[in-house]
Amino acid sequence: MKNQDLVEYLRSCGVCEICQLRYLKARGAEYRNINETLQKLDVKLNEYVKNEELVVSAENQPAKRARLGVCSTCLGLFSKDFQNELLSSILASDFAKYDCQKIVLAICLPMSLQLRQLAMWFALRRRFGASIEESNPPDVPIKEAVKLILHPIICEKLDKGYDANGLMINIDLTHNLEDEEVEKLVKLNKEAFPAKASHQKRIEISRGLLEKQYQPSKVKAETFEKYFQIPCSNVEESIKLISIDLQGPVVCVAGRYRKLSRELSHTPWILNGKRLMEESIEEIIIRDVGPHFTEKLGKITFMSSGREDVDVRCLGKGRPFVLEIPNAIRSCLSKDEAFAMERAVDASGMVSIHNLQVVPREELTHIKTGEEQKKKFYRALCALQEPVSVKILEQLQISTSFDIQQKTPIRVLHRRPLHTRPRTIYSVNARVQRGNPKALIIDIVTQAGTYIKELVHGEFGRTTPSLSSIIGKPIDIQALDVVGIDLDWPNEVDNSIQEE
Amino acid sequence: MPVQPEDPLEPFYFEQEEQEICGKLVTPITDGFQEDYPSVVDRFFTRYYYFKGDVPYQVLYHSNRICLICLAPEHPALGQGISSVNFDIGNVDRSQNVVKGKGKKGGMILQAESTLALVTTVNGESYKVPSCIRGKLVEVNTSLVEEPKLLEQLPEGAGYFAILLPKIENCDAIKASLLTQEQYEERLKTKKEGLPQIESTEDKT
Repeated sequence: MKNQDLVEYLRSCGVCEICQLRYLKARGAEYRNINETLQKLDVKLNEYVKNEELVVSAENQPAKRARLGVCSTCLGLFSKDFQNELLSSILASDFAKYDCQKIVLAICLPMSLQLRQLAMWFALRRRFGASIEESNPPDVPIKEAVKLILHPIICEKLDKGYDANGLMINIDLTHNLEDEEVEKLVKLNKEAFPAKASHQKRIEISRGLLEKQYQPSKVKAETFEKYFQIPCSNVEESIKLISIDLQGPVVCVAGRYRKLSRELSHTPWILNGKRLMEESIEEIIIRDVGPHFTEKLGKITFMSSGREDVDVRCLGKGRPFVLEIPNAIRSCLSKDEAFAMERAVDASGMVSIHNLQVVPREELTHIKTGEEQKKKFYRALCALQEPVSVKILEQLQISTSFDIQQKTPIRVLHRRPLHTRPRTIYSVNARVQRGNPKALIIDIVTQAGTYIKELVHGEFGRTTPSLSSIIGKPIDIQALDVVGIDLDWPNEVDNSIQEE
Repeated sequence: MPVQPEDPLEPFYFEQEEQEICGKLVTPITDGFQEDYPSVVDRFFTRYYYFKGDVPYQVLYHSNRICLICLAPEHPALGQGISSVNFDIGNVDRSQNVVKGKGKKGGMILQAESTLALVTTVNGESYKVPSCIRGKLVEVNTSLVEEPKLLEQLPEGAGYFAILLPKIENCDAIKASLLTQEQYEERLKTKKEGLPQIESTEDKT
């Protein structure tokens, strides 16, 4: 089979130039050149053909700007008219509301297109015989061609880059023959793929099934022809746009938070349907950061590398957190904007955020590993029942790590399984408050997941050893601060420094 | 020149490092110190009592309904001196209790009068420690078996025999069936004064 013969045959079937190239298995840039102008298209096509060491006779060249009706294989999907319709429809949607540099098209194609591809496949096999394989499509499939042809054109016209994680433009297409042809397809499907046993449920028609099962190696041309024409019929009408739906990217905004209040929960605290506290870390941060990225603050997910109890402060460099914002209208955050958000959160007087930045979604794994594997630094205010002695203070200077066995604390035992977990304590360093010899300030470095309050008092012997068992005296904990979390993520960013 | 006696704690005094958050200096953790800070039991538990005959037991009821079963401070065995604690009560060994998952599947279901453990004293007396409440056995404090003497000196709560988890729907009835701290003290007083005992829940046994 010569390419020339193929093109001539395709033309006789009312196939457009782009689809002709599809059947010549053209790749990316080759389509782009063709589409620049119809004038150039002629030249390029010739060059293209020449490159392929083919000669196309003069009378077979398409006439300049001659419109060949609607292409019988793509139903006009690749026509200039359709591109223009698509563009104007995108621009008429909420597209301008989204401040995204990258886009991705998700097109839902009518099944008619797939049926037409199969009809042409049968036709080519009849015309050119075995040189057309029966299980490898003779063309660049439409779905792939959309990526090669439509994507770059739309991106260029909208002046956006392509990114699979960018703003998703969902385009739903149909054709006036779709309903009728799907109805025929259902009948064909019953005949071509009868249920093997009566009890077996017939597989419903789907685009996936069509793609996988409908090829000459699996469906006979004769069966197909009972319902559809080979080659496919010419059509009057072009493909139609049903709807355009925009789905903004998932944007992840990371930073570190610090918490000054001992009366602030991590997330909204609801007990028996009643709110126990007015605010939460999650809500304060989302309130000031969220609106930049979305109107629907309720859809934002707040995650952090662990969490502290309500009555625990989080100081030092703070705890890494990330907001996962679906359908975001923006994917950028300037330093100025980030700094304004940081100051707004600071104004709460209870929570402070810094290092605020947009991060790639892949980096979210850091936050979860930080939760389980990293070292945590704490400062505990502890009380003895009698004034401290030098001996006790010396017993509480531990610089070599040791392991403890910790049972699930009673305070969470009603809702968590009972386990005895080994935990490593890396160091303990106790000091005493001047003028108050019963008050110890103990800095403790532990493996993540250690319950500090129980480590101090031992919880009736359920954590062993405990600071209480080490000194052989009762010791209680009155206050706790997290002073460090050993996770170097996200990057340190000083948003108060102006950008160039 | 008189030399000041050196303070042995000098190397151990705490110095606050300055840090500014939300535009203000972070207050030192020591600011929150309370001289009269309530104990762990006072913070999270309510004390209830159960009598088996004339012998008192204590139930430490956590705000999340977890119950610790202990000897009451006035339990006669504490005065006599304890020689052994055994969770093998004859037909069943409570220390073999195993629970799985959040729902504590597999835990033994105990009634208030079910025997939890056996305590013997140095003068040979033996007490059957009752479960005191209806609930699921979650945990048994086997360290008491190894060192029964500890019971006499351990701080409040640490001498717990077992942890039980009652069903949510039974909690109100359970609390009503036990004596409150006030009722318990009242009963001890009337007993001391040799007055006829007021009718109470201990008659269950």
